[in-house]
Amino acid sequence: MSERLFVNVGDTFLKSPIILASGTCNMGRELSEIYDLSILGGLSSKGLTIKPRAGNEGVRVAECKAGMLNSVGLQNPGVEHFIKYDLDFMNTLDTGVIVNVAGHSTEDYIDMVKALDPHKDKIDALEINLSCPNVKEGCMSIGSDKEQIKKIVGQLRKLTDLPLWIKLTPNVTDISSMALAAQDGGADAVVLINTMLGMAVDIKTRRPVLHNNTGGYSGPAIKPVAIRMVSECYRVLDIPIIGCGGISEASDVLEFMIAGASAVEIGTASLVVPDCPQFITEELEAWCEENDTDIRTLTGTLQLWQ
Amino acid sequence: MNKDFFCEVTSKCMLNEETALIEILCPEIASCAVPGQFVNITCSNFLRRPFGIASVNKEAGTFKVGIKIVGEGSEELASMDEGEGTWILGPLGNGFDLSNNKYILVGGGSGVFPINFLYEKLSSEGKSVKVVQGFRDASQIIMNNDDYILTTDAGDAGIKGNCCDGLNTLTDEDINGSTILCVGPMPMMRAVSSWAEQKGLDCFVSLEQRMACGIGICLVCVCKIKAQEQGIEFDHKRCCKDGPVFDAKEVIW
Ligand SMILES: Cc1cc2nc3c(=O)[nH]c(=O)nc-3n(C[C@H](O)[C@H](O)[C@H](O)COP(=O)(O)OP(=O)(O)OC[C@H]3O[C@@H](n4cnc5c(N)ncnc54)[C@H](O)[C@@H]3O)c2cc1C
Ligand SMILES: Cc1cc2nc3c(=O)[nH]c(=O)nc-3n(C[C@H](O)[C@H](O)[C@H](O)COP(=O)(O)O)c2cc1C
Ligand code: FES
Repeated sequence: MSERLFVNVGDTFLKSPIILASGTCNMGRELSEIYDLSILGGLSSKGLTIKPRAGNEGVRVAECKAGMLNSVGLQNPGVEHFIKYDLDFMNTLDTGVIVNVAGHSTEDYIDMVKALDPHKDKIDALEINLSCPNVKEGCMSIGSDKEQIKKIVGQLRKLTDLPLWIKLTPNVTDISSMALAAQDGGADAVVLINTMLGMAVDIKTRRPVLHNNTGGYSGPAIKPVAIRMVSECYRVLDIPIIGCGGISEASDVLEFMIAGASAVEIGTASLVVPDCPQFITEELEAWCEENDTDIRTLTGTLQLWQ
Repeated sequence: MNKDFFCEVTSKCMLNEETALIEILCPEIASCAVPGQFVNITCSNFLRRPFGIASVNKEAGTFKVGIKIVGEGSEELASMDEGEGTWILGPLGNGFDLSNNKYILVGGGSGVFPINFLYEKLSSEGKSVKVVQGFRDASQIIMNNDDYILTTDAGDAGIKGNCCDGLNTLTDEDINGSTILCVGPMPMMRAVSSWAEQKGLDCFVSLEQRMACGIGICLVCVCKIKAQEQGIEFDHKRCCKDGPVFDAKEVIW
């Protein structure tokens, strides 16, 4: 591994700025059969809840131009099952282990952190998902209210020393106030962004394609929105930012980092080209060599026009 | 282990106006694919398109897929000509269990393609195979074979009726001890699976669901399957990774 690629997200050391985004790599098993995941900075688990969740019924995916809508609805085996069957596996991958935590209420998040904290030696960071658009209560509704963000992060902060990365939703008018609320609550980093709320219509049936009616839009189309949010938040935050949204090539990673990200997550691109994070890593290494630059020095070097 | 391969089309024929059968060179996929598996093919649209494997030729290192044109992606792929290439991920999913010696295959819609691969494989192994295929009318008939029992809803070819009407023409001798393998539209698979249940036969079906990754990492393609654990109504299994082949008794239709 090139020394050029390591980054620090607060106190968390990552071999590379590239993390696989939650919900687009399951728990790592399938992709580990396709390429060596140890080249990555980390892998974020599927969003977990206290109890197992079956997720939404019917059609859960709608293809769009330059992206897709999903309405999986947090299908997951529950945190207990995860600790028993998946956490050790993730630890064999020789990469950062990020656990994505979801819930419907403050109590859910508290119970989740209490369940995970005893396993802290196997976890590099908790990614608190305050941004899933596909469940009826909790999650995104908590993440669109800055008072609630601050309160919940503050409560979780008291329960664990594990790094708390707060994953925010772009479905708000003022993202920087949400990010500041997470910082005020004691977050170690913010992850920007989760999917954008969207809808697709089947013109033959005049019904939404997704049986949940709406879903989360991801893929290259949302990248400019994510970059803008990273840039806006970088200018007001003291804590690091993990950028996410529409990354599918090495230059996208550079763009996010220049705009202010300390690390990035790759999501939907893995669903189209499963080993693309490997190519992106190789290209980033080559770029760093060519430009005689360590990747971590890029963060926030964006110069805005006056 | 599945990988992404850049593959070239080695031949193509149009089976009717809206369906192409294309042959693709990929020794890696041809050498290990089993009936029931599929491939996920890159086109110009954002997501890949899943297609069942219709035939393999291990010596030539090729396999075939049948593509019915239903939208932009299938239209583009069906228009690929010899020498053109694209990225193909596969072989994906679990194939059929072929450990029995006696099978009845039932196909309809785009299910006729995997049924063809099953027929080639089982007959080359000298196993007993009966095939029933159903179509809407005579103009839709593709991938047929004189040995097959043919049915059409319109009655303008073969037996008038659906696949179950075709199955009803089988003798007890044909039926006893057979396993049914069925690929086709949901209502057809459902009807065939209840026919099998009445006759006390094992039946396996290949489910179809909208997919993204095709390799089990996104959970968009789930099917409702009876739960193993008590107290849970059903499991959402991934069609692409846990299927697409499921025991018909386990499927919640
Ligand atoms: C496991 C599996 C095996 C298949 N095997 C065959 C085959 O052998 N031959 C064949 O002709 N077709 C097969 N299909 C169906 C084929 O994948 C669709 O017809 C194709 O994806 C349609 O793409 P489109 O762009 O032309 O249609 P559009 O309707 O424009 O596609 C829009 C989106 O919906 C999805 N979609 C549309 N129809 C289907 C469908 N019936 N099943 C799954 N996804 C769909 C597309 O993949 C795409 O994401 C199979 C599907 C699955 C899941
Ligand atoms: C199918 C799918 C499932 C997802 N599930 C989760 C999840 O469980 N938890 C979460 O925090 N984000 C989830 N996401 C959001 C992604 O992690 C990511 O934030 C988003 O897709 C934007 O990045 P991308 O454009 O690179 O995909 C999911 C995204 C997709 C496409
Ligand atoms: S299509 Fe992604 S899990 Fe099946």
